Amino acid sequence: MIESYIPIFIMIVGAMGFAVVMGKMNEFVGPKRPSEEKLSTYESGMEPVRSARERFSVKFYMVAMLFIVFDIEVVFLYPWAVSYKLLGTPGFITMFVFIAVLLVGYFYVWRKGALEWD
Amino acid sequence: MIPLSHYLIVSATMFVIGSVGVLSRRNAIIVFLSIELMLNSVNLTLMSFSSFLGDVTGQMLAFFVMTVAAAEAAVGLAIIIALFRRKQTVNLDEINIMKW
Amino acid sequence: MTIESILFYVLSAGAVGSALFVVSRRNPVVAALWLIFNFFCLAGLYLSLHAQFIAVIQIIVYAGAIMVLFLFVIMLLNLGDERRLVEGVTPRKVVGGILSIAVLVELWYVFLGTPSIQHAALGNRATEIGTVEHIGAQLFTKFLLPFEVTSLLLTAAIVGAIVLAKRKLD
Repeated sequence: MIESYIPIFIMIVGAMGFAVVMGKMNEFVGPKRPSEEKLSTYESGMEPVRSARERFSVKFYMVAMLFIVFDIEVVFLYPWAVSYKLLGTPGFITMFVFIAVLLVGYFYVWRKGALEWD
Repeated sequence: MIPLSHYLIVSATMFVIGSVGVLSRRNAIIVFLSIELMLNSVNLTLMSFSSFLGDVTGQMLAFFVMTVAAAEAAVGLAIIIALFRRKQTVNLDEINIMKW
Repeated sequence: MTIESILFYVLSAGAVGSALFVVSRRNPVVAALWLIFNFFCLAGLYLSLHAQFIAVIQIIVYAGAIMVLFLFVIMLLNLGDERRLVEGVTPRKVVGGILSIAVLVELWYVFLGTPSIQHAALGNRATEIGTVEHIGAQLFTKFLLPFEVTSLLLTAAIVGAIVLAKRKLD
């Protein structure tokens, strides 16, 4: 039972280990000759101004919110797709209604201009 | 095998920690995070009963709780954004216009 | 100690510990990151309950989508550093804490007295319940109405969020 997850566990440990080892190895192996110019924040040659913690625009919230809603939709599509043969035509109609209702929301978003970036 | 009561105790502990967060913190975002914590602890209870009783209903409920949590997060955070625009704060003690 | 019980205790300690960090951190970004850790621990606990599908959904929906939204909003409001709230100890907090601990003791008392249901009686069926096939077959037959209502809920959430958060409605 739980033993069957061991390959996944090994993969997770391997992936994380690889990332950490590569990041750390760079620190130890690479030559380091710091100077004031090198340590300053790189901003395409400009002098860095203001704090990096600037307020994000509400546009990012819009995108993340739409992402959540359509992420949920995909999460529902996945078990539907897996057991599609079992469900047959009623299952197809079910999902059709579901997507049709969500499309109303999608068109609302579109008309309100929440998909436009500026 | 781990007994059912151990899962229930973990979930009860998480629920109470979440409720302490809701009751004691004044930052609206952290209160919201605590509510998510409480929802998740209830999900753990549902999942453990579902697994121990061999009934899929608990897992379905947990699934729908997650869906509702997503909708709730979208609308709740929009409310926090709207409040912040108006009052420039997320301190719940300062949002008191509708208190008597 | 079998490998299952070691996993269970490690994951539960992680879940409870990170929950404590969520409610005690002053910086909301740090609290949100601890909550993500908590969600991963819970996903591990779901796997130990043979609910593979819900464990994956937990990570995709909660850790992947909902927490991203939270972090965006924290950064949108720029609460990360400067706008920390000063939160002192008030009588209300003390009363809330005492009442919560009372609830905790009560719940522990009830749960420790619960006779445990045997999980093993199900045999092979226990692993079958949480599979995607089984969830799919149940979701679109027995739970059809809640599923369809979900689409309405999501549409309402889209509309509500846009009306509340969009700066100018045209």
